[in-house]
Amino acid sequence: MIRCIECGSNQYVGALFCTECGAFLVAQISKGQTTILPFSEFTVHAPPPPLTKEELETAVTPRQVTFVIPSSRRRLQLELHDEIRVGRAGTELIPELDLSPDDGAEKGVSRLHASIKSVKKGIVLIDLDSTNGTMLNTYRLPPNRPYPLKNGDEIRFGDLLTHIFID
Amino acid sequence: MSKIFDYYAILGVDPKAEATAIRIAFEALQNSFPPAERDRARNADYQRLVNAYEVLSDPVRRATYDSLLVETTMVDLDIALTLSRDNIEVSDTEQRLYLLVDIRPPKQSSGQQLPLNLCLVIDRSTSMQGRRLDAVRAAVELVIEKLTPSDVLSIVSFSDRAEVVASAQPLSHKPGILRGLHAIEASGGTEIYQGLAAGVKELRQSPLAEYSNHLILLTDGHTYGDDKQCLELAARTAVEGIGITAFGIGSDWNDQFLDQLVAPSGGPSGFIEQPKSVVQKLQERITGMGTVYAQNMRLQRSFPDFLSLEYGYKIVPFAQPLVLDDSVIRLGNVEGRSRLAFLLEMNIQPQTVERRLSIPINLVADIPARQMQQQTFNQNVRVNVLKNAQMQEPPEPIVEAVRMLNMYRMNERVWEEVEAGDLEAAARRMRHLTTRLLEAGEPQLARQANFEAERILQAGTMSLDGRKKLKFGTRALVTRTTYFDDDDND
Repeated sequence: MIRCIECGSNQYVGALFCTECGAFLVAQISKGQTTILPFSEFTVHAPPPPLTKEELETAVTPRQVTFVIPSSRRRLQLELHDEIRVGRAGTELIPELDLSPDDGAEKGVSRLHASIKSVKKGIVLIDLDSTNGTMLNTYRLPPNRPYPLKNGDEIRFGDLLTHIFID
Repeated sequence: MSKIFDYYAILGVDPKAEATAIRIAFEALQNSFPPAERDRARNADYQRLVNAYEVLSDPVRRATYDSLLVETTMVDLDIALTLSRDNIEVSDTEQRLYLLVDIRPPKQSSGQQLPLNLCLVIDRSTSMQGRRLDAVRAAVELVIEKLTPSDVLSIVSFSDRAEVVASAQPLSHKPGILRGLHAIEASGGTEIYQGLAAGVKELRQSPLAEYSNHLILLTDGHTYGDDKQCLELAARTAVEGIGITAFGIGSDWNDQFLDQLVAPSGGPSGFIEQPKSVVQKLQERITGMGTVYAQNMRLQRSFPDFLSLEYGYKIVPFAQPLVLDDSVIRLGNVEGRSRLAFLLEMNIQPQTVERRLSIPINLVADIPARQMQQQTFNQNVRVNVLKNAQMQEPPEPIVEAVRMLNMYRMNERVWEEVEAGDLEAAARRMRHLTTRLLEAGEPQLARQANFEAERILQAGTMSLDGRKKLKFGTRALVTRTTYFDDDDND
């Protein structure tokens, strides 16, 4: 199977157009964007080093962060003061980034899945020991360790793909 | 395809020959040319030999060539088979493959001019009153103008019973036909079977083998309780060589039923949005009807185990999904000098070793001009299973056809999702479809899709009118792609 980069659905190898969203799959392949790798297991490189203590001091100025969720065609802009919690809204907790409208439950997003923090060095992503894990680009993050985020990074919470854009 | 040089014959090797055998054969033949004659520009024989070797010694080019090399039992019909790719990967998952089948009558053929035996079956239920029935009358008058004196025409009108407005007769009796036509009055319900049965009876007045036989149904409503009878009749008459075309007028008719009704004979079903377009639709349909090269073309559904047929779609002469439940797939006629083209979507089962797969395409048709019944046209198309199959650009006609068909099918899926009550999924898909229609340069259909997406969320369904517009609008897109639109006769 291959995965449509526009909507994330599974498609047959050799299929020309995505049956779900109608995207032209061959163009995706020739651009080198479609992987035929298994979805969650492509940790071919060692993850980048987590940040050190002093780099992790909380930043003062708030920042604008935009999330794009291709499967549900949602685009959200959030103000990042010190933390954005990522998960699914429940009775006890409503995370700042609530992924339940994006089929978060079906796609394996935990109630409290991950956290995005603004620190001196920039912005970091921390997996909060979620059931199905967090992938940053091709790296599966070990739990509870902060990893720096860049503009345009691809993050998967469980099986849910999101892109992050940082102003 | 019949014009391809047989490179294996030129080199005198078996089509399964190994690379070394091919090289040895080439060197031996090359040495048979005196050095002075080894000039590709001047010596055609030498040129052909080198060409053959260049193709067969290159694994990629050889694979491509092999897949084009089709076995033809009879060259009467020009049948071209094009795959979306010639090589597929060794893989433990199913892979998708598309095959375009393009059938043309022989160029020198005059295209047997059979007289038409045509029956128009006209719905005269109450809802047809006014502009609809007026438009139909006007259209029929124009149709009569188009026919020749040897053509036979009959007209049947029906509501909950049927009347023969004009019994089957050669067109030398025009005035009588017109008089009957103007006497049709709208009243009553819609029982399509009544109309069909009376129409078929009229068609059978003429010796069917000597004519090109067609029944054209024009209706604007749902039939009441006789769907099954209608479909049984359509299946029986298809075997006799009667083609059925069905047009729905307005928005309140059962498109699925009309699709099923035309399926056995491989005819078209169509949507007539405005009464004023009845004339155009009817004229389009009748053009080329009389010149039939091959009648009742069907594809045998006998495929090897490694292949499963997922979907089939006729593209030329008109766009129509193919019905795949039977042991044969009905394709209709090869009309006039135009071609018959259809696309098959197939899945190839997991392939664990490198090998060459041969896909048989077995067609059967009657050729009236040669008084041949059940003539078979068998061909094979080959696909190579390779460990490192190189990425190929899929052929443009296939890409364009699949792009358009995919939009039609997205729309059909939306309807399924609406019926299943999954409104969010339906609306999401409809929004995707909106985008794709815009990309394809279809702003009108895109606007309709956008409107229906909103409506699905708000009202929980699509509008009847929108459903038909999108269904038949997206269905027709494929025949407008450049490759299929040019009805060239060259």
